[in-house]
Amino acid sequence: MQTTLEDQKKRLSKLQPLIALFVLCLIIGLLSDKFFTVSNFWNVLRQISVNICLSVGMTLVVLMAGIDLSVGSVLALCGAITAGLFKMGIELPSQNLYIGFTLLGASLAGVLTGALLGFFNGFVITRFKVPSFVATLAMLTVARGLTMLWTKGFPISGLGEQFAYMGTGWFLGVPVPVWISAAVVALAVFLSDNTKLGRYIYAIGGNENASLLSGININKVKIIVYTIAGALAAVGGLMVTSRLDSAQPNAGTGYELDSIAAVVIGGTSLSGGKGSIWGTVLGAIIIGVLNNGLVLLNVSPFWQQVVKGFVILLAVIIDKANSKNG
Amino acid sequence: MPLLEKKNNKTLPWLKYGIGSVVVMILAYNSVYFRELDEVKAEASGKFDAAAFAKTFLEKQLSPKLAIAPDIDDLTTLLSTDKNKAFDAYSHATAIGNIRYFLVKGQGVITQINENDLTIQTPKQQLTLAMEFIYGNALRDASGEFDITKFTKTADINNVSSELNKLIRASVVFPFRPKAKVGDTVQFAGAIALNKEHLNLTEIEVVPASLK
Repeated sequence: MQTTLEDQKKRLSKLQPLIALFVLCLIIGLLSDKFFTVSNFWNVLRQISVNICLSVGMTLVVLMAGIDLSVGSVLALCGAITAGLFKMGIELPSQNLYIGFTLLGASLAGVLTGALLGFFNGFVITRFKVPSFVATLAMLTVARGLTMLWTKGFPISGLGEQFAYMGTGWFLGVPVPVWISAAVVALAVFLSDNTKLGRYIYAIGGNENASLLSGININKVKIIVYTIAGALAAVGGLMVTSRLDSAQPNAGTGYELDSIAAVVIGGTSLSGGKGSIWGTVLGAIIIGVLNNGLVLLNVSPFWQQVVKGFVILLAVIIDKANSKNG
Repeated sequence: MPLLEKKNNKTLPWLKYGIGSVVVMILAYNSVYFRELDEVKAEASGKFDAAAFAKTFLEKQLSPKLAIAPDIDDLTTLLSTDKNKAFDAYSHATAIGNIRYFLVKGQGVITQINENDLTIQTPKQQLTLAMEFIYGNALRDASGEFDITKFTKTADINNVSSELNKLIRASVVFPFRPKAKVGDTVQFAGAIALNKEHLNLTEIEVVPASLK
C-alpha cells in the first residue's frame, strides 16, 4: 500500500510541469480572449522555438551537472557570422577572389562556429578543470566581443526572403521554426534515451567518480555535450537572425537565463543526473506561455521579469521538496 | 570467426570515412562559390539608389495620388459608419497584418505647437501633424503604387521608406515648421496608419507629404 502511495507521489511529481502549464493556460485564457486563438497558438510556438533549441542543449549540459552561460552570446555570434558570410562573403583582394556563401554554406558555417565554441568550452572545462560556470561565463564575454568585432557594432540586415524563410516561413501549415525545434527535440530525445552517449550523460551527472571508475571517458563525453550545446545555440542564432531579417550585435542577451529557467521548470535537477528533454520542452512552453500571457494582459515588462523570476524560484523550491521526499 | 570480425572492423571505418567524405564534398560544393573580386565590386557599385527612387516615387507616383486623396473628415466619418468599406476603398499595405495606410488631405487650424508635432483642429476633429519623427511605411505604402515584387532585397524596400521620410523631413517639414503659429490655417496632405482590428479614431497622426 505504501509503495503504491509512493508511486503515485512520484508520478504526480513528474506531472507537475504539465499541471502547471494547464493551470497557467486556464488562467490566461480566462483573463484574455486573445489567448485561445489559432494565431496566438502559432505565435507562442514560433517564439519558443529558439528557446527550445537553447534549452535542449542546456538540458544535456545540466544533466551532467554542468551549466552553459554562453549560449546567448554564441547565438549572437553565429547569427552574425551566418548573416555576414551570406550577405558579404569573403574578399581576398590579393588573389582578386571573392568567396560567396550560399544559404546552406553560411548556415553550416554558423553552426560549425557554434560547435567550435562549444568544443572550446568543453576543452577548457575538462583540460584545465575550470568550473563550467566560470569557463562559460568567460565564453559569454568572448563571444559577445567577437560579435561586436565581426559586426563592427552595427546590425547586418537585408538578408532577403530566402534567408527569412527559416524564421518566418510556413511548411505544411506549420511555421518553419517549429519544424526545426521539433527536429532538434526528436534528435535529442533519441540521443538521451537510446544511445550510449545519453546513458553516459545521465551517469556522469548522477555520480562522476563512479562513472570514471566504470570506464566512461568523462572528458570526451563532456566535450561532445558542450559541442552539441554550442551547435544548438547556433541553430537558435540562425532562427533569430532569419526572423528579424537582421543579425543584431546584442541579440540573445539574457537568453541563457530563459533556457536555464526552462530546464529547471521542466524538472531537470541542477545537481545533474535527473531530468528529461520532454520536461525541458514543457518548461520552455511554460516560459513562452507566461511571456505571452503577461504581454496579452498588458503587464509592464519590468513586472514580467519579476514574475518570471518568482516562477523559476518556485520551480526550484518544488524540485528541492520533491528530492527530499523522494 | 575472429578473423572475419577483424576484417569487418577494418572495412567499416573505410566505408564510414568514404561516405563521410562524399557528404562533405557535396555540402562544400553547394555551400560556396568563387568569383572575381573586381566583377563583384563592379556589380555592387551599380546597386539600388534608394534616395533617387524615393524622389521619383514622390514626384511621379505619390503626388498625383495625394491630389485625389479623400478629405480626412469624410474618411473618418466613413470609418465610423462602415469600417470595412472605408478600408477596402481607401487603404493599402505591403505587409500582412492589421495596420493599413490611407492617403488623406484636409485643412485645419493650428491649436497647439508641441515638441514633436502640431495639434490641429479640422471642422470635425482634432489631429496631430508629425513634425519631428517622420518614420514608418505610411507614405510609401498608402498610395498603393509601391510594388514590393519589383524588389529582390528586403533592405531596398526598407531603404525606400527611410529615404522618403528623410526627403519629406527636409523638403516639407523643415521649411514649414519655423513659420507655423497657433491660429494659422494649414492645408495638408499625407498619410495615416490605422489598425483595422483595433480602430482608434481619437488619436490620428498625419505624416505630411505636403503642407501649405
